[in-house]
Amino acid sequence: MLLEQIINGITLGSIYAIVALGFTLVFGVLGIINMAHGEIFMIGAFIGVLITSVFGLPLWIAFLAAIGVTAILGYMLERIALRPLRGKQGVSHLAPLISTIGVSILLENLSHHIFGAGNHPFRHSFAQIQFQVGSITIYLVQILIFAISITLMVVLSYWLSKTKAGKALRATAENLETASLLGVNTKRTITTTVILASALGGIAGILVGMAFNSVNPQMGLSMGLKGLAIIILGGMGNVKGAMAGGLLLGLTETMIVAYGDSGYRDAIAFITIIFILLLRPQGIFGKNTAEAGR
Amino acid sequence: MLGVILNPYHLQIVSFILINIILGISIYITLSSGQLSLGNAGFMGIGAYTSALLTINFDLPIFLGIILGAVVAGVFGILIGIPALRLSGVYLAIATLGFGEVIRVIFVNWESITQGSIGLSGIPHMGRELFKTFSLTGFDPDMLGLKNNQFIYLLVVLTLLLVNILLIWFFIRQNKSRVGRAFAAIKMDEKAAESMGINITYYKVLSFTQGAILAGFAGALYAHVMAYISPADFAYHRAVDILIFSIFGGSELIWGAIFGATFMTILPEALRFISDYRYMIYGVVLIAMMAFRPQGIIDVSLLNWFKKKLKLKRGGSLGIRTKKYN
Repeated sequence: MLLEQIINGITLGSIYAIVALGFTLVFGVLGIINMAHGEIFMIGAFIGVLITSVFGLPLWIAFLAAIGVTAILGYMLERIALRPLRGKQGVSHLAPLISTIGVSILLENLSHHIFGAGNHPFRHSFAQIQFQVGSITIYLVQILIFAISITLMVVLSYWLSKTKAGKALRATAENLETASLLGVNTKRTITTTVILASALGGIAGILVGMAFNSVNPQMGLSMGLKGLAIIILGGMGNVKGAMAGGLLLGLTETMIVAYGDSGYRDAIAFITIIFILLLRPQGIFGKNTAEAGR
Repeated sequence: MLGVILNPYHLQIVSFILINIILGISIYITLSSGQLSLGNAGFMGIGAYTSALLTINFDLPIFLGIILGAVVAGVFGILIGIPALRLSGVYLAIATLGFGEVIRVIFVNWESITQGSIGLSGIPHMGRELFKTFSLTGFDPDMLGLKNNQFIYLLVVLTLLLVNILLIWFFIRQNKSRVGRAFAAIKMDEKAAESMGINITYYKVLSFTQGAILAGFAGALYAHVMAYISPADFAYHRAVDILIFSIFGGSELIWGAIFGATFMTILPEALRFISDYRYMIYGVVLIAMMAFRPQGIIDVSLLNWFKKKLKLKRGGSLGIRTKKYN
């Protein structure tokens, strides 16, 4: 029983971690909280439903389509909501936050109109495959989710630390002006970052659809807020922190549902946000700087 | 005569506008010291539930319930405001957003008292209670040519209007006082303000708490005007609504919040056919405002231009001519 719960927790946590990776990438490079990330994630899930259930196409096409659509959304987000604000005189530092809130409301209500308010099941035979190990049931989907999230994290870490584009991204995150003086095409780097983050959101969306078999327009909001909680837990802009924070939140939530009051499950993330921000604004894994949280 | 003009539906919308103006001012006040709070929906909920529960369970008079609702919200404002001093900008926005969600989850789950997501119904209606007192004095709305229903809504609107005028007057006065200048200084540059001898801790908590009190007050009024509340009324969308009032109207001036609240309440009512697309339009408005006019529709230069126009008109043609010959 406990082991089963831990497996469920890790599955949930891996998805949280992928969502949080998208948040943390954008924050690390642009210093912006992308409030639309949750809704891009939700669109990814809907694309998955559309491709597999409505058109009856195989799963890998759904993945490609979701990645494609969310990447395009990411590009539009950058061009329409973020780039016009960058480097403009007299724009408050809160402007990008408000602008992405605008995108999130727009996307949520758009999908509300297109897909309706109800739950959409994610019908796929793949989701039913399961193994019996001793007394525990493990779904193949759970293994897949865990594998994908680990792979994504390893690839992302490698890409960030070893490749030229990754180095350019980190240089831009460190200091935009200096990076552009040194010949980094910061405009392209930023666009790449937002697209990459959005595509990660799309992948997470499909995984959630498979794991929980239900997709609705409101799922973006709660997932977005949880993603925020995780990057605050793990330290803003910290890739490994996002992964650890995601797993931690996933496990805690599963345990609360299994052994506590399930009604308060959604509150955990937000209570965590408040306490972490107040006690350790740089996050559990964050560096201890005076400027953090300011 | 009066009976023909006053339509209960229109009166209801006017009372929503007046409540939304209070909400708009509540976020304007916290923004005026440079803090973005997304928790005002939570404070509004605290005010609404406090007042509703007190009046339902303890038969408290409505006006006492509303005041207590505002006070309880204010106490929460201080409790959140003091630790939130360590945060600023985006971090404060997230922490307050988290606070609002926690409040909502508590409302949903604390079923023995709040009746969960079904919500509280049977809250005493402000207009009806006022009407009862009026009836005791032997007043009959027929004397004004009004039906009872119309008179009840009219009473609500008049009460809210009075409250609004008092609040706007108070905050305009405050803006011109030491407190208002301290808020503005903190908004411009916190460190510079501190070196000028302004007690940042005190003024930031003050502005945050004022915002919380106003939001709680508006929430309590909302409960007694609607006579029904549920946790969904105080969710994330309400926080965004409140934010829009100030961002669209203009966050530099109190008139911006007032204009924004008025406009954004009328818009979906006036354009019924687009009310389904209301939030989509809100989203586009937020994006466009940030890109093209981040300070909002009404800003200082627009107000000055307006004042100049008004002065010219009042000065008449003579005033213009003398200016020419000078």
